[in-house]
Amino acid sequence: MRRLLARVRSWEFVRQLRRNRMAVFGLAIVLIFLLAALFAPYLSPHDPLQRSLRQALDGPSWESPFGRDELGRDILSRVLHGARISLTIGLVSVGIGALAGVPVGAVSGYFGGAVDLLVQRLVDIMLAFPGILLAIIVVSTLGVGLTNAMIAVGIGTIPTYVRLVRGSVLSIKEYDYISAARAVGAGDLRIIFRHVLPNSMGPIVVQSTLQFAVAILWAAGLGFLGLGAQRPTPEWGAMLANSRMYIRVGAHATIFPGVAILLSVLGFNLFGDGLRDALDPRLRGRM
Amino acid sequence: MRVRLLVGLLLCAALASVGALAAEPQYGGRLVIAIGVEPESLDPIGMSSAPAATVSEHISQPLIYLDVDGTLQPSLAVDWEASEDGRVWTLHLREGVTFHDGTPFNAEAVKMNLDRFLDPASGAPFRFLIARVTEVEVAGEYTVKLYTDEPFAPMLAHLSHSFIAMVSPEQLRALEPGDAITHPIGTGPFKLERWNRGEQVILTANEDYWGDRPYLDEVVFKFVPEDSARVVMLETGEADAIMRVPPLDVPRLDAHADVEVVHATSVRVIYIGFNNLREPFTDVRVRQALNYAIDKQEIVDVILGGAGEPSTAPIVPAVFGYYEAGPYEYNPEKAQELLAEAGYPDGFSATLYHPTGRYMMDATIAETVQSYLMDIGIDAELITMEWAAYLAHLQEPPETADYDMYMLGWGTVTLDADYGLYALLHSSQWPPAGWAVGFYKNAAVDAALDLARVTPPLDVRQALYETAVKGIWHDAPWLYLHDEVQINGVREGVHGLIHHPLENISAWEAWIDR
Repeated sequence: MRRLLARVRSWEFVRQLRRNRMAVFGLAIVLIFLLAALFAPYLSPHDPLQRSLRQALDGPSWESPFGRDELGRDILSRVLHGARISLTIGLVSVGIGALAGVPVGAVSGYFGGAVDLLVQRLVDIMLAFPGILLAIIVVSTLGVGLTNAMIAVGIGTIPTYVRLVRGSVLSIKEYDYISAARAVGAGDLRIIFRHVLPNSMGPIVVQSTLQFAVAILWAAGLGFLGLGAQRPTPEWGAMLANSRMYIRVGAHATIFPGVAILLSVLGFNLFGDGLRDALDPRLRGRM
Repeated sequence: MRVRLLVGLLLCAALASVGALAAEPQYGGRLVIAIGVEPESLDPIGMSSAPAATVSEHISQPLIYLDVDGTLQPSLAVDWEASEDGRVWTLHLREGVTFHDGTPFNAEAVKMNLDRFLDPASGAPFRFLIARVTEVEVAGEYTVKLYTDEPFAPMLAHLSHSFIAMVSPEQLRALEPGDAITHPIGTGPFKLERWNRGEQVILTANEDYWGDRPYLDEVVFKFVPEDSARVVMLETGEADAIMRVPPLDVPRLDAHADVEVVHATSVRVIYIGFNNLREPFTDVRVRQALNYAIDKQEIVDVILGGAGEPSTAPIVPAVFGYYEAGPYEYNPEKAQELLAEAGYPDGFSATLYHPTGRYMMDATIAETVQSYLMDIGIDAELITMEWAAYLAHLQEPPETADYDMYMLGWGTVTLDADYGLYALLHSSQWPPAGWAVGFYKNAAVDAALDLARVTPPLDVRQALYETAVKGIWHDAPWLYLHDEVQINGVREGVHGLIHHPLENISAWEAWIDR
């Protein structure tokens, strides 16, 4: 852990990141969405659930800069509250994926043999389904709803973590300092958690950032299909689904939640890419 | 210059007259109609909705036809009379009619079909239509007698119902017990060619039809639940006609050169039923509170673009037996008072089931209702279901029915209050027997409805229905929403489509000039 922190603090890393314009741009978007999510109740001009039928599908105006949706609800307020939901989904599902996937991947890579074989075949099975499909299967088993959507997306991301961590553990465990640790009598668990995992933190952080974008996208997809957040929750995907039938008469109701999904996913992807470049010593100097 | 203008005018006139000549009906062609949802069945004892009726009546016909004006017209039965005491109905059948498989249509065929419909074991959800019939007698090759236990006033109107459709006796004989008909063989102007589940039904003209052969060679009903998708199909010409144009799209379609928007009346009320057996809907104050909590006029004005009227009774004004009892005014304060009186000052949570693509703007209206209910502290969880699954879900007996509220519409297609009130609100019709899905029971209402069934004089019946409607309105077993209006869209060059107030679209007189 100390090694990682040292690297993060080091001038080299921040310099690398700052030199990457796209990464900074991505970080800016991520920060904007974070702020929007944190302060949504204060930033929203209206109650996101307040109906105003007489204003249904009114276009953007000073009073409601993003216009009104099919029930006359303020779209800006809904998009801001939607940021809360989407970021929560990202956090929870990435958390589930990482917490379950990282230890399993580490154990699988460290011990190898039969454990590895078993775990990896299970992961193969999970990877055989496209992630979103896996999430849909999980949601149909657990029942629709926001919480279950988060769990589903989380489960869908587990195999990626397992593979990733296993890969980096496989290479790290061959290093001399691991042999040294073993020579002074450190147990397997201690080696895994004190020496192996901290050294594979880089790829995990990068993967988590990228996975955040995927989680937002999948959750929006589930919401769009009616399997995620339920009406009237202002979730971006669900907003998109509900307003799409009015796209000919009030396109703004579809455009703004759509742009929100696009920008947040783009932001996390750019930032994640930048992080990877900055954290990977092999890519250093090539940017 | 002048000469040229004159020639031009003459040319125009000539072209116009060619156009007029083309207005003669033409044979041939294929007509595609996009409807919202797929029929849940085409078996007479399995059907329960207008989409099923719309498709079915092209294939298998009832004995009597209710035309667009609400008049009963001879169809497979050419003449009928009731006995003095009103307990025996004699039907004279059309001769020389054959089913699509060549089997002759006769009294024996009618008996087989009606017996099957009446058999309690067959579980026809619309058995109540003719449940008063105790015996069907073959009184001659082309004469059928129906015996009833009481004089059954709405008999003829009920026999015109699309679900009492005649299918081939050969087909019925070949049917294993408990099996459903998936490919009905009827006497109708079209034959069922193919039913691609989830996609479309293809019908072909019946060359041996007893009436005039339809102009069209083929009619295709496509199932497209998405409103906007149907509109696009109409605009691009992928569909020649669509049902239920979203009101918001009407101005744009009106401006479209190749499309005509058809407004037609309907006999349908849209409502949200309460499960009267489940807390807190067992309390009449709660049910009334919800009625006061919704601004029906605003829903009609904004979401339906004015296409409809807030309901004033559980049946529409055009139906015999109508009495103007409402509407419940929009009064959220009163709603909250009633809720507080009932012991729910802070509201409660409940489920609200609704279909999508079945009624005009159904999903949006459900969400609007949810929003209004939130105002008085009620947290309604919306559950959307696909049409056939939804209907099946609403046929659970009281012990297993798990819904608190459900959105449905009902067209009183016989234009007689019996069909609208008895079927939905008489306590004998609780599922699985019938469609009283809300498990409402009021002895006085039951008695009035029972009596009105067996009392022929119209003024007495009217008075009885007035009593029943008043009671039902006060008890509020439903959240009364609005009376629907149909908005269909038709491409230029399509003529003769029947937009029936029963919310059927019929193609047997339709033709295409291209």
